[in-house]
Order: sequence, then structure tokens, then C-alpha cells
Amino acid sequence: MSASIPEPQARANAAPERRAPDAPAGPDLAASPARSSASSRRKRRERLLYGASCLSLLLAWLLLTGVAGLPPVIDPAFLPSPLEVGRAFMRLAEMGYQGHTLLYHFGISLFRFFAAFLFCLAVGIPLGLLMGVSGALRAVLDPPIELTRPIPKLALLPLMIVWFGIGELSKILLIVAALFPIISISAMQAVRSVSIKRIQAAQSLGASRAMIFRRVLVPASLPGIFTGVRVALGVGVTMLVGAEMVATSEGIAWMALTASDFVQTDIVLVGVLIMAALGYSLDLACRYLERRVVHWSGKE
Amino acid sequence: MSLEPIDLYDPARRARPKLTLENVSKHFGEGPETVQALSPVDMVICPGDFVCIVGPSGCGKSTLLNLVAGFERPSTGRLVLDGREIDGPGSERGVVFQQGALFNWMTVLENVAFGPRARGLANSRELAMHYLELVGLAGFAGRYPYELSGGMQQRVGIARALANEPEMLLMDEPFAALDQQNRELLQEEIKTIWRRTGKTVLWITHSIEESLFLATQVLVMTARPGAIKSAFRCAFSRSDDPFVSTTPAFAEAKRRILELLREETLAARQQEAAS
Repeated sequence: MSASIPEPQARANAAPERRAPDAPAGPDLAASPARSSASSRRKRRERLLYGASCLSLLLAWLLLTGVAGLPPVIDPAFLPSPLEVGRAFMRLAEMGYQGHTLLYHFGISLFRFFAAFLFCLAVGIPLGLLMGVSGALRAVLDPPIELTRPIPKLALLPLMIVWFGIGELSKILLIVAALFPIISISAMQAVRSVSIKRIQAAQSLGASRAMIFRRVLVPASLPGIFTGVRVALGVGVTMLVGAEMVATSEGIAWMALTASDFVQTDIVLVGVLIMAALGYSLDLACRYLERRVVHWSGKE
Repeated sequence: MSLEPIDLYDPARRARPKLTLENVSKHFGEGPETVQALSPVDMVICPGDFVCIVGPSGCGKSTLLNLVAGFERPSTGRLVLDGREIDGPGSERGVVFQQGALFNWMTVLENVAFGPRARGLANSRELAMHYLELVGLAGFAGRYPYELSGGMQQRVGIARALANEPEMLLMDEPFAALDQQNRELLQEEIKTIWRRTGKTVLWITHSIEESLFLATQVLVMTARPGAIKSAFRCAFSRSDDPFVSTTPAFAEAKRRILELLREETLAARQQEAAS
């Protein structure tokens, strides 16, 4: 940090005064998107703190597992060091796990996840939107969705296997069972919370019901739908672990679960970290898409 | 005297109606829960009239506008525009809302082109551009509504309603959320647009000055259940003086309406205290 930057406390106090001259000066000026340098400096500081927090977590992990000749605090059998996990990853990438390559396991898990997720998007969103506009459809579909929603979907796993066999279908349907209500209900709620004034405006401009649905209700619902989709992404990765608990010998979660039976904690951690990376990057991608698609969200 | 009491339902007005309200009333709810929002109203709005309705809050002036817009159906009576009974929203009645009714996912141009497009016009974009020029926002056609200030957003709302070339403009406190300077500038612009287009306007406001400045007829409503308490012909809107509101005659007129409104506001307060 350069010496010209004042200390944080002083900067926080100075910020509002410095921003004042940037405020719209006269009538009818567009809200100025210009940010004061104080706020951009605050952003940079937050980013630094973020990085520092990540680094110290890694450092704590290193210290606990013994680094630079220090004795490990925790038995490596329980918590392997980052280096060992890295080595396990390289080993798995090279030789695979239990007859399949790491990429194959990852691919299978991705397939299960995306088959369920895309199905829920393709069916759950349109259905939720229609439920939002049609009271009749809502009356018919609300009971099955609302009544099954409180069931912990993991508890359905044995039933799923009895009903749909040990193939991919039961695993995909388990994830669907968890994601579908989240996505369809968020779409329904989003439609129902569209401001009545916007609908009335469209009506008095001569729009047909179909046009109001397509050009007003659907776009106005997108921010709410995105929120539901992001929640579903997180739940979906969690459900992947459940889906791969039994009746399979493939997949990243299965790999981690199996490795734990043999106390191969380094492999367990490789699996855990891969799933974490998957969840995190899916969320990042969704947030990116959200910013691009629903640019108006939160800017009423 | 620039305020002249008139009868809104006299034979002369009934002979050349744009909009007729016959015995129109509105109540909400059923049985003992019933709330009378609007007492029976008879009135005629003539072509080219600029009618402002002022009244205490909750007096049913917005209900009246919603009935004309077709968002609500009257409990009794009927509303007739150009010989056709109103039975729902329609593009011949353009509505401008207080705020927050623009489509934020569309550009300003798409917002204004929405009506012409809904009616299947091929030249919707040209029409939209024309009306954006009229409200002085041609340079903002490609922006999104949330990028504009409150005053500019209202101008987009006005252009959007005008682009459908409606028979009548319905304005529900369109400038209530704006600051004084913006409001006065927009009032002048509206006056210019009204003179140029000759539209019939029904304007709801709680600002007496606004109503005197703009209206050819000012209606004062009673406290709930709302009814027309008094109606005046008003001459200030014909003045070209932007400072007409500082003249003694204007102050006199304002005082007269203030007195009427004061009675109603006190009555409304008593009602609230009683319930």
C-alpha cells in the first residue's frame, strides 16, 4: 500500500463528503454511475482481505498437518497435508480409481447432476410460470408439490431404487425430487409478485394475454427464478452425494465415500474438493449469467 | 374570478360527451365488511377537457380513475367512452402511473413502442421515436428506464401512453414522487403537449396548484365515500405565463379550493377517529 492512502478509519469517515459532489447536479440528470475513488479503494481493500482469508486457511491447514519439518498437530491419517492431497490428485488423474479414470468419475457425476438440473429447468420453470398465472393449475399442482416438499429427499433413496432400479434413472430422479419444487415454486412466486401496475400498464397499452405473459410476466419473473436456480445448484451438488451413496461404483461422491471406508483420507479430500469446486464454479457461472441477463434486478 | 362553479352533468355537456359516467359507484367487499369507496357519480367529460380531480387521500379518486381505465368494474352504473361502454382496459385509454410501471427489461424505445407493437403496427419504432422526441428523450432511446432519473422515467411513461395515440389520457398522480423543480417543468411540458395534441385528460392529484395550473375543470371530491363535492371551470391553464401560479387571482382560487378540501380532510380525520 502506498503511503498516500489514509488510514482506514479516516477514509470511512471521509467517504460520504467526498461522494457528495458526484451526486446528480441538476434536474433530470441520469443517476450518475460514477463511483468515488474512496469506494473503489474500499473495494480493493475488501478484495485484499478476501485473499488474505483464503491464504490463512491454507496456512492453518499446512500448520496443522506439519510443514517445513514441524511435527503435524493432527495425525496425517485423519487430515493429510495439502501436498499429500495434491499428490493423491495427481495419482488419481494418472491411474484412475477402481478401474475408471478420474475424468470418467467426474463425467458420470456431471451427467447425473446436469440431467436432473436441466430437466428441472426445462419443465419446472415453464410449469411454475403457468402455475403463477393459472389459479386452476395452481390448485391441481400445489398439493403434490407442497406435500412432498418437506420430505427429506435423501429418505426417498431406498424407495427410488426399489421403484426405478439401480441404474442412472433412480439417481437422476432423486436429484430431480430435490430440485424440482425449489425451481418451480420460485418461478410461481416470481410471477405472482409481479407488480400489478406493470400488468395494468400492459393491459391499457392493448397487450393480449399471451403478450403480457411473454413480454411482461416472464421477464419480470427472471430475477426471482435466478434466485431459485442458485439455491437449487447448491442443493443439487449436495444431493449428488446422496445419489451416489448406494447402488453404484462410479462418480466423484462415490469415490470419496468408498475411500473413506479404507481411511484413504487424501482421496476423500480430493473428492470433496472436486465437488466444492464444482459447486462454486456453477454458482459463479450462474451469478455471471444473472448479471448479464437480469441487468435490471434490484434497480427499481 | 377565474374559478367558476359548473354542473358537470348539465344538458350542454351531455350534448357533446367524450366520457360519460352515469350513476357510477364502487364498493369493495361483501356484507358487513363492505367499504363504500365511491358514492354514485354523474358527470360528463367533453372532448379536449383537461379534468383534474383533487381530494383528501383515500377519497376514492384513484378508484374513479381505475374505473375509467377499466381495471375495476363499477358496482352500479356505467361508463361510456365515445358511445361504447367501458368493460375492461383498452388501448384507447392511455394510463400514466405514479411510478414503477415501466418495463425495466426493455430499453426506453421498446417501452414506448410496446403499445403500437401490441396493436400490430408495423411502424411501432418510428412512432415510439416520434413520441420520445416530443418528451425530449430521443437521446435516451437505447437506455434502460432504471438508468434514468425519476423525472425522465415519468416522461417515458407519458411518451409510452401517447404512442398509442389514445382518445383519452388517464394520469394517476404522475408527478407525486418528483421534486418541486422537476414537477413544475414537467407540468409546463404537459400543458404544451396537451395543447398540441388536444387530448382529453383525466388527471388525479393531491396538489391544488397542479390542478389549477393544468386543468380546464377542477373537481373537488369529498372524504370517503368519495363523491364530487364541487366542480369549477378554471382559466389558468389557458395562460402562457409560467409564473401564473404567483398571481393574486391564482392565490384566491387556491384559497377557495383549500377551504373546500380542509373541510373534507377534517371530516376524513373524524371518520378515522370514529372507526
